[in-house]
Amino acid sequence: MFNLLRRLMARHAFFLLFSLALLGGFQYLICAAVSSVNVSGAIEELMKNLPPLTRSLVGEQFFSGLTTRGILAFGWNHPIALALGTAVGIVLAARAIAGEIESGVLELLLSQPLSRMSYFLTHTTFAIFSLAVLSVSGVAGTFIGQEVFGLEPFEAGALLKLALNFFLLHCAWFALTMAFSVFGRESGRVSTAGFLVALVSYVVQVIGKLWPSSAFLLPYSLHSYYSPQAILVENTMEGKPLLVLFSISLICTGFAAWRFRRRDIP
Amino acid sequence: MLPTSNTLPGLFLKMTSLQVLNLSKHYGNVRALHNVSFAVDAGEIFGYLGPNGAGKTTTLRIILGLVHADSGDVRLFGDRSKAAAAREAIGYLPGELRLYGNMTSLAVLDYFERYRPHRPAVLRKKLLEALEVEQAALSRKVKFLSHGTKQKIGLIVAMQHDPDLLLLDEPTLGLDPLVQQAFREIVLDFAARGRAVLFSSHVLSEVEAICGRVAILRSGEIVTVESIENLRSKMVRRLEVRFRGVIPGDLSETPGVTRIQIAGNQAVLWVQGEVNPVLRRLAQTDVEQFVFPEPELEDIFLSYYQRGESSNV
Repeated sequence: MFNLLRRLMARHAFFLLFSLALLGGFQYLICAAVSSVNVSGAIEELMKNLPPLTRSLVGEQFFSGLTTRGILAFGWNHPIALALGTAVGIVLAARAIAGEIESGVLELLLSQPLSRMSYFLTHTTFAIFSLAVLSVSGVAGTFIGQEVFGLEPFEAGALLKLALNFFLLHCAWFALTMAFSVFGRESGRVSTAGFLVALVSYVVQVIGKLWPSSAFLLPYSLHSYYSPQAILVENTMEGKPLLVLFSISLICTGFAAWRFRRRDIP
Repeated sequence: MLPTSNTLPGLFLKMTSLQVLNLSKHYGNVRALHNVSFAVDAGEIFGYLGPNGAGKTTTLRIILGLVHADSGDVRLFGDRSKAAAAREAIGYLPGELRLYGNMTSLAVLDYFERYRPHRPAVLRKKLLEALEVEQAALSRKVKFLSHGTKQKIGLIVAMQHDPDLLLLDEPTLGLDPLVQQAFREIVLDFAARGRAVLFSSHVLSEVEAICGRVAILRSGEIVTVESIENLRSKMVRRLEVRFRGVIPGDLSETPGVTRIQIAGNQAVLWVQGEVNPVLRRLAQTDVEQFVFPEPELEDIFLSYYQRGESSNV
């Protein structure tokens, strides 16, 4: 297991370090941007010129009242932050099984004294570790940025909750893509399927928030269970969304493990 | 020579390393294997011969637990367990070998060695020498190696821990003739030290050269399991002869000749078993050219069709 874990670290090191640096750096830059200009005033001015529909979407969903905290929370809802986490979760899952089948190495690997469960658990452990570190790096970016630029800091509990929420959302994408990966033989197709589901989920969330008559769709979007605004600004995040994301991760991982034990290699 | 085993000579001869019992496998509607059974004893090189697509690779994958059989059973060293630990004592070379392209050859060898903490790579150095793997190739990334060198690295991965059971799927693919010869000697030495070898190939001559027994597979079914001697005696081989003068009329009566085809001053003879009587008869005639091609798998299948020994093939 440690042999494989070491190999995974070596293989994904560049991709992960790049993602960690990008997310942490991005959150840090958001802090820098907030501190350097009167962002609230500028955005308020900008918002006045937007059509009412767009104003309602952008304002309510992302800026939460146009406070400094609201804008920092927006940094966590920004497509760059979401895409980074989603990419790490999906790419790791797609490469874990479909990718290794595609590369042809899985046959030789599983002919060693390495059980399928050990293989699966090692990949899952590695992904959980990677996503946890990614979440922490983002939170570290926000924390350091607040310290450096003299912004009012978030409570430690709120930052931890945010990291957990971000982590669980992307664990869910990992688990869901693993459920695709155990059926696949090409990582490209599996990744595409994973990204499509993530994109649909994002769009469903936007539509659900835009039009009250589509609000019934919100529970079907995983993004609905991720809310930096609720954690950092409104302090209204409860345990239920976290539990939903955790349950989906657990169910999809369990299904993927069950299926992986039964499938033929390659 | 490779290091000798601690196994007592003679003792291993009675042990069965691998038993394959009534394996059947379908991929959708396609039948890959049907009731395949054979056993490989310790100290034996067992040939697994069949054309491409006959089901050889599927059998090997089922033995390793990579593919699930619809029915049937595999026993490794007498044990039905499919636990990963059972693969500790197995070495496997896949037919379509793929290695991590971005790792160096040495890193690949080390990486696979670490999966067997209790079986260190005791044979690596000897194998590197025997297969003539240069030091420079070891520090090169796998993606920059030639096909032949990759195959050598694959063979070393399979054999470096001195496995008790060696599963080789088309192992000589891409090896030059000299290295093939060295590889055969290594495999013969493995068997001499009590290791069991399952040697899968579609090339009759290489199986004939090193195997003691052979199972012949066609369309997912075992046609026969024979000793090489028996196989040779049953095999129908083709001789092409061009005569300077008239073709003797009694050639077809020569012992062993099962069929003859004449066109002008050329004759094609199909000979079963011993060829000496035919050669002696031909020596009495005026032969201009004589061709005795390597027997091919199809010749064996033809033998079994003619003998009616395998009505379902």
